[in-house]
Amino acid sequence: MNYLGRRLVRAILLLVGVSALCFAFTEMAPGSFFDEMRLNPQISPATITSLEEHYGLNQPLFVRYERWMQAAAHGDFGYSIAYNTPVAPLLWSRAKNTLLLTIVAMLLAWLISVPLGVWAAAQHGRMLDKMTGVTSSLFLAVPEVVFAVALLAIVVRWRILPFGGMKSADFDGLSTWARFWDVAGHMLLPVLILALADGTIIFRHVRASVLEALEAPFVRASRSFGISRTRLLFRHVLPVAAGPAISLFGFSLAGLISGSLLVEVVCGWPGLGPLILDATLSRDFYLVIGGLIFSALFMIVGNLIADIMLVVADPRIRAGVPDAP
Amino acid sequence: MKTSVRLVLVVCLLAASCLAAPIPESSTAGEELDHAENVSGHYGGQLTIGERAEPKTLNPVIATDAVSREVIGRMNADLIDINHASQQTEPALAKSWKKSPDGRTFTLELRKGIRFSDGYPFDADDVVFSFALYMDPQIDSPQRDLLIIDGKPLTVAKLSPYTVRFTLPGPYAAAERLFDGLPMLPKHLLEKPYREGKFDQAWSLNAVPNEIAGLGPFRLKQYVPGQRVVLERNPYYWRADRDNHRLPYLDELVFLFVGTEDAQVMRFEAGETDMISRLSSENYNLLSRERSRTSAQLADMGSSLEYNFLFFNQNDLSGKKLDEIARKQKWFGDLKFRQAVSAAIDRDSIVRLVYGTRGAPLWGNVGPGNKLWMDNAIPHPQASVDQARQILKSAGYSWNQAGQLLDSSGAPVEFSIITSSSNTQRMKMATLVQDDLSHLGMQVHVVPLEFRATIDRVFQSFDYEAAVMGLGGGDADPNPEMNVWTSSGTTHLWHLGETQPATAWEKEIDQLMQQQMVTLDYAKRKRLYDRVQELIAQNLPFIFLATPNILTAADSRVGNFHPAILDPYTLWNADELYIRTPGKNAGAP
Amino acid sequence: MRLKTFLLLAALVALHLILLFAGFVAPYDPAAQDRELPYAPPTGLHFKDASGWHLRPFIYAQTIAPDGYVENTSRSFPIHLFVRASSYRVMGIIQTNWHLFGVAGPARITLFGTDGFGRDEFSRVLYGGQVSVAAGVAATLIALLVGSTFGMLAGFFGDWADESLMGTTELFLCLPWLYFLLGMRAFLPLQVSALKTFFLVTCVIGLIGWARPARLVRGVVLSARSRNYVLAARGFGASNFYLLRRHILPELSGILLTQATVLVPRYIAAEVTLSFFGLGVSEPIASWGNMLSTLQQYSVLVSYAWMLAPMGALVITSVIYSLLADTLHSQLKFHSS
Repeated sequence: MNYLGRRLVRAILLLVGVSALCFAFTEMAPGSFFDEMRLNPQISPATITSLEEHYGLNQPLFVRYERWMQAAAHGDFGYSIAYNTPVAPLLWSRAKNTLLLTIVAMLLAWLISVPLGVWAAAQHGRMLDKMTGVTSSLFLAVPEVVFAVALLAIVVRWRILPFGGMKSADFDGLSTWARFWDVAGHMLLPVLILALADGTIIFRHVRASVLEALEAPFVRASRSFGISRTRLLFRHVLPVAAGPAISLFGFSLAGLISGSLLVEVVCGWPGLGPLILDATLSRDFYLVIGGLIFSALFMIVGNLIADIMLVVADPRIRAGVPDAP
Repeated sequence: MKTSVRLVLVVCLLAASCLAAPIPESSTAGEELDHAENVSGHYGGQLTIGERAEPKTLNPVIATDAVSREVIGRMNADLIDINHASQQTEPALAKSWKKSPDGRTFTLELRKGIRFSDGYPFDADDVVFSFALYMDPQIDSPQRDLLIIDGKPLTVAKLSPYTVRFTLPGPYAAAERLFDGLPMLPKHLLEKPYREGKFDQAWSLNAVPNEIAGLGPFRLKQYVPGQRVVLERNPYYWRADRDNHRLPYLDELVFLFVGTEDAQVMRFEAGETDMISRLSSENYNLLSRERSRTSAQLADMGSSLEYNFLFFNQNDLSGKKLDEIARKQKWFGDLKFRQAVSAAIDRDSIVRLVYGTRGAPLWGNVGPGNKLWMDNAIPHPQASVDQARQILKSAGYSWNQAGQLLDSSGAPVEFSIITSSSNTQRMKMATLVQDDLSHLGMQVHVVPLEFRATIDRVFQSFDYEAAVMGLGGGDADPNPEMNVWTSSGTTHLWHLGETQPATAWEKEIDQLMQQQMVTLDYAKRKRLYDRVQELIAQNLPFIFLATPNILTAADSRVGNFHPAILDPYTLWNADELYIRTPGKNAGAP
Repeated sequence: MRLKTFLLLAALVALHLILLFAGFVAPYDPAAQDRELPYAPPTGLHFKDASGWHLRPFIYAQTIAPDGYVENTSRSFPIHLFVRASSYRVMGIIQTNWHLFGVAGPARITLFGTDGFGRDEFSRVLYGGQVSVAAGVAATLIALLVGSTFGMLAGFFGDWADESLMGTTELFLCLPWLYFLLGMRAFLPLQVSALKTFFLVTCVIGLIGWARPARLVRGVVLSARSRNYVLAARGFGASNFYLLRRHILPELSGILLTQATVLVPRYIAAEVTLSFFGLGVSEPIASWGNMLSTLQQYSVLVSYAWMLAPMGALVITSVIYSLLADTLHSQLKFHSS
C-alpha cells in the first residue's frame, strides 16, 4: 500500500533523524561519564583519558555515529558505560514496569475523562460543568512533582498505602492473588498522579470540542428537526468532536515510554524513569539514545494508530491524501 | 559441632533452597578468625537501607559510583582496614604486618584457613592476583593511581602461601592506609574472564550469585532490576564476636533503590527502610520533630571531613578566548581581594541557614571533624564588612556614587559564581555569599549549572569566574589531599596544570606536602601539615565556608549502630549490626 | 453572561496590575535577606491587645525560639498605608520608594511568611509573578502560533506537506531536549542578564513546545477541510487563503483556547527544569518557577505550609485564565453563528 509505504519511509527517516540529532546533542552537552572521577583527588587525568579511549568516547562524532548505526542495523544498540552491559536488555527489564504503569494510567485517564468531558459539555453552564472546570484548572496549575510529593507525604503520614516501589519485600512469598493486590497497591499512587495529569488535559479538550460540535450549524438544525439529544450526541456530535481527542490519544500512546519519567523517579517506581534520568545526567549516552529510540518507536506507532483512527472516525478524511483540485 | 565442609555445604544449599539465610558455619580447626572482643548481638533479621540510585556493577575493580561501592564494600574485605570509629588502621585479612625501618616494604601475614563466600580457601595467590588486576593498565581501575607512587608502581611478591610482601618505590607515610578499600578477589572465579579479556563484563548486575564470591560479611542473593539488591550472610566470614559466634548477625542486608533523598526519608518514615546513611539537616530536623511517630535513633556525629569553599579562577588562560575572565583575574589573583571577600563572608549564618546549625564554619581545609590533623592555631576572624572595605581600600579599590565597588582602573567589580544545581546546599551558600559580597559593592551573580557541566568548566574549559564546590570526606590522612595542594596536582582547582609553582607559597606547599608524604613520624608530619594549613589560610586559594555534620538515622531496632564520619557512615560495621527484636520486621516472612 | 465576563476581565486586569506594580504592593525588596528570620511563618494581624481593640491592625515582631517562632508581644507595630521604604523602579523606569503598606522596623510584616533566607515570600510571589506570568503567556503564544501555523499547513495541504511537517513534529517530540539545554547553556555567556534570561526561557519553551499543538491543530484541520461546506466553498472557487481564514481558522478557536489554558501553567512550572540546567531565572531574582522548586523538597512541603504561596498564586492565575478562555470561546461561537 502506498500510504503505509510512505509511513514506513517516514518512520525510518524519523529514527535516523532522532539518532543523528541525539548524537549531535550529546556532543554539544558538556561533560562526560567519567567527569565525576575528576573530583576524586586520587585518580589521575591519564586514567580518565584512558577510560574514555577504552569506551571510544574520544572518537570523532561521525565515527561513533557510523559505528553505532552499523551495530544498530544488527539490533545492537550499544553498551551502557555505567552498567557494562548491552543497552537493549537493560532497557527492556525496566520498560515492562513502565508499560504496566502507563497503560493502566492511560486507561484510567481515558475512561474517566472522556465521559466526564462529554457530560460536562452537555451540561454546559450548569453546576457540574463549572465545578469540573475549576477543579481541572486547579489540577493543571499544580506541577506533577509537587503533586506527587504532596500525595506521598499524605501516604507517609496516614499509612494508608504501601509506599513507593513496586513490590513489597515479601512479594516472592505471596500467593498469586496477594501478589496482584500488592502490585496494585504500590501502583495506585503513581497511576493516580499520571492519570490526573493526563486526564485533566483530555477532559478539557473533549469538553471543548464537544461543545464546539454542539454549537455547529448542522447540529442546531438537526435539533430543530426533533432528533433526540442522545442520538444527536452519539451519532453526529461525537464523530465530529473526536479529532482533538484522537490526536491526544496518539500522544498518550507515544508517551507510554517517556511520559512517566519524573513520576517514576519521585515514586521510586522501577521503570525507565530512574534509569534514563540517571543515564542522562551521568552522560551514559548509549543508554540514553537507546531509550529515545525505544520511545520513538512508540511515537511512530501511536501516531500511525491516531491517523488511522482519524479516518475511521470521519471517513470523509483521507488522511494525507491530496485533494482533487 | 564439628562437621565436614562438604556437609556444611549441603546444609547451606538446603537452607538456601528453603529461602532461608545460610547458617553461619562453625569455626574449623586452623581457621584464624578475628575476634571482636567488645561486640555482642544476636542472629537473625533483615536490615533494609534505601539508596538514592541503584548500583551499576558489583565488580570492585571497575566500580566508580558511590552506590556500587557501598554494596561492594559489604561483599568484600581488604587486607588492612581503617577503623571508622578510631580512624586508625587495624588488621583485616592480614592478621599482622611488619614495616621495614625505611617504610618501603610491608610484609603481611594473612589469616590462615579462611574462605571466600563460596567456600573456596583464600591465600597469597588471591592477593597477588587481585593486585595484578588493580595494577593492570588495560583495566584502568580507579584504584590504580593510588598504587603508583612517584610514577612507579608498587610491587607484590608471594613469600609463602600466607605471606606477601609489598615493596613501595619510595617511602610513603601511612602506607598501610592504602590497603583500605582494595578488596581481595577470588582468583578461582575471576582468572578466566581476565585471561579472556572480558574482565570488565565480569560481575555485572546480571551475574548469577554463585559466580560472585568475596570475603566480606555478605554475599549476593538476588538482584531485582531497578528495585533492590539482596545480600545474605556469608557463612564463612572471618570475624566472630566476643562469644565466638561467627559474624555477621543479620540474615540479610537489602539495598532498596528509592531515587531521591526525600524518598529515602519518606520510606524510612513509612517503616520500609531501617536506616539512612546520610541526611541533610532539613530532613534530620524533620525526623527529630516527628520522632514520636518514627521511633528512630538519630545520630549527629559532628563535623564531617567535607569542606565547602569558594574559589576564583586563577588558571592560565592564554590561548583560550576568555578575555573577559582574564581581565577579571587581576582581581582574583590579588590576595587583598580574596582577603576582603573572605572577611565579608558571614560563615556563622551559612552554618545556620544552610545546615540549620548542624555544621561548622571553616577557615581552613582541615575542619573540627579531623581532630588528628587540624591546626588549631588558624585564626577564626568574625565576619566584618568594615574590615573588608578597609582591605579593599588599601588595595586601591574605590566606590562610586551608587555604592558600586570599582577597581584601580575604575571598572566595576562584577563576577559570577557557578555551582552545581543538584546540590541545594551549595546553591544556598552561593546565594548567601552573593548577598554578603553585595555589601562590599560587588555585583555577584549566582549561576547554577548542571553537575557535569560545572565540572567541565572547572576542569577543562576554565570558562568560569568563581565557583562554590566541596571536596574531601574520604580519609582523615593528609595524603589523599596531595593532589589538591601540590601545584601539579590534578585537583589543584584554582590553577590546574601548573608546570611549576606559580607563587612562592605554592612552592613551599609543594615541598611541605612532599616531605610529609615521606615522613613516617606523626608529630613531625603534623608540624609539616600545620604549616601547609597555615599557608593555605593566609593565601586563600580557597575561601573556606563551612562543613556539614554527618547526620544519620536508624530504626530503634537496629543494634550496634555506631555511625562514623568516614564514608560509609553507617554500614562500615555492617557485620556487627543486628536487629533487636527479630521477627518484628515488616518485610520478613 | 455579560456581568460574568466583565468580572473575569476585571479580575484579570487586577491580577496583572498587581504584578505590574509589584514594587508598590510588595513591602520589601524581594532579594533582601533577613538571616534572623529563615522560614518564619506569616505574621499574624492583630486588632486587640491588652489595652483593647484597635481600628488599625498591628503585628508583633517574631523571634526565633528552640521550636519555631514566637511573637514578642511587648511592643506592637501598627500597619501603615503608603509608606516610604526600600527603593525600586516602576516598570523599570521611575525610581521611587513608596509602598502600599509597611510597618516600622525592626519588625517585618511577612504576609506569606519567609523563605530559607528570610526573604519576604509575599514580595517574592509578586515579583516572581512578573517574570513567570509574562514568560508563561509569551511562551504559550509562541508555541501556539508556530504550532497552529504548521498544523494548519500540514492539515490543509496534506500530502508531502503533511508527511514532512508531521515528521518534524515527531522528531521534536522525541529529541533529548535535556542535552540540548545543556549544550545551549555551554554556548551562552556565563552571565546572562535577567532580560535575556526571560527571552531565552520564553523562546526555549516555545521552541520545544510547538509540536503538540501542531498535531492537535492538524487533526482538526484535516476533518474541517473535508466538511461539506468547505468542499462546497472550494467548488465555488474559493482560494486556499480564503478557506483557511474564513472556514478553518474559526474551527480552531476551541482547541487553541483550550491548549492555552493547559499550557500557561505548564510553561510557568517548566522553568523549574530550565533552572536545573542553568537556563532559568537564577537567584536572587524571584520567579514562581524557582520558588516552586523548593516546594519539591519533602521537608519544606511538610514543615512550612506557607511556602505553598507561589502555587496558590499559580492556581489563581490558571483558574482566571481558563474561565476567561471558556467565556471567550462561548462568545466567539455566539458571534460566529
